[in-house]
Amino acid sequence: MKARLAFAAAVLALAISALPAYAHHSFAAEFDATQPVRLTGKITRIEWTNPHTYFYIDVTGPDGKVTNWSIEGASPGALSRRAWNRGDLKLGDTVTVEGYRAKSGANVADGRRVTLPDGRALYGGSPGDGGPGDNGTDQGALPAANK
Amino acid sequence: MPFLQHLCQLLYDSHIGTAIRESNNAFPIIESVHVLSITLLFGTIAVLDLRMLGLVLRPIAIPRLARNILPLTACGFAISISSGFLLFWAEAAKNYANPAFRVKLVLLALGGLNPLVFHTLIYRRAGDWEAHPASPWRVRTAALTSLAIWSGVIIAGRAIAYF
Amino acid sequence: MSLHDAFMALAHSPLGHAMQRSKWDFALVEMVHLLALALLGGSVLIVDLRLLGLILKGESAPAIGRDLSRLLLGSLTVMILSGIAMVSEEAGKCYYSPAFRCKMALLASAILFYFTLHRRALLRTGTGAPAPGARVAAVVSLILWLGVGIAGRAIGLL
Repeated sequence: MKARLAFAAAVLALAISALPAYAHHSFAAEFDATQPVRLTGKITRIEWTNPHTYFYIDVTGPDGKVTNWSIEGASPGALSRRAWNRGDLKLGDTVTVEGYRAKSGANVADGRRVTLPDGRALYGGSPGDGGPGDNGTDQGALPAANK
Repeated sequence: MPFLQHLCQLLYDSHIGTAIRESNNAFPIIESVHVLSITLLFGTIAVLDLRMLGLVLRPIAIPRLARNILPLTACGFAISISSGFLLFWAEAAKNYANPAFRVKLVLLALGGLNPLVFHTLIYRRAGDWEAHPASPWRVRTAALTSLAIWSGVIIAGRAIAYF
Repeated sequence: MSLHDAFMALAHSPLGHAMQRSKWDFALVEMVHLLALALLGGSVLIVDLRLLGLILKGESAPAIGRDLSRLLLGSLTVMILSGIAMVSEEAGKCYYSPAFRCKMALLASAILFYFTLHRRALLRTGTGAPAPGARVAAVVSLILWLGVGIAGRAIGLL
């Protein structure tokens, strides 16, 4: 019994020492629900990969400055089950992304509601990540358009 | 670019690596097999290690238990390594720079070495143990080392997603 | 208090707040959950492979079952506690998730089966070959526990 407790303690210590200060897993851990963003921009890069998809957009600010934002989405499999397929996004397309900014303050947001050039609005959150629109299923509940 | 990094980039850019990485179902399935295979790999070896610590299955002699358990562990290792290699193939370029992945590889190598050390230095005297339920300190050290290393592999593996 | 209220209460509890706020507490809990999963799986495997008559032939099946029950139930307890902590982080999502509900149903079935028919199969097998129905019990046990694991993966994938 004591050995088992010692083992458990050693493992926990190992776990703590192995962890970085910044964790990534669920929505709450990486994105800030108090920092909603609404971005419109041209797609400059697409990474349709596991475990998360990413696309990058050039957003022109009110001052004319262009910043490149990284938008994170669910895995290709999860998105495909919402009829959002690999070819739907094309380089140069203009999309509108509504989501939340990364806690780190970097130009990273999660794409909870993405409006494609053809007018379709899709839910990009990862199933089960606990963020707005997540209802535990792979379909998600598309958040209403804001601002 | 360092040679290893170049190799990782080649794997990453390859047709198979890309296909797995961009797949709808293959990646999640391979990843699930990899995660669940820890029961066959770590779960079984842990029981043997706990026996070596004198904590479980005392009526069964260690060599006898080892003979029954190690084939299961080997099976688990085979499944973990092959599924893990496929995951690595898909993510190689990203894994190269990932500190958690590097730690995992080092621990994996140690995990592979531990049974070798154990077999050559300790296991030879298996006959001595038949009579004693308690284990000599070398056996206990080997068991604790094994538990620590494989726990570390699992923890480092989970940490990969955080870098 | 309805089940939904219970989940919401968990989300608003101190545990829930701590888990939601944390930068790496969730990761730590996940890792503990994973290690306990390996230990639970290992003990289930060894008991059920004995019940199938594939390993440790001649050794007492009920004795092995009883001996490993400490490891099995201990790791199961750790999994349930870490599981509750993880649910408190995303309680609403878990409540509505079909994969989560499936996992809970399989978990309840596995535990119930373990304490009833599975135990009986072990006792009747003794030190000999698997008793009639013992092999079925072993396979059912393996499938139920594996099902819990797969459903758990599905929570975050599907």
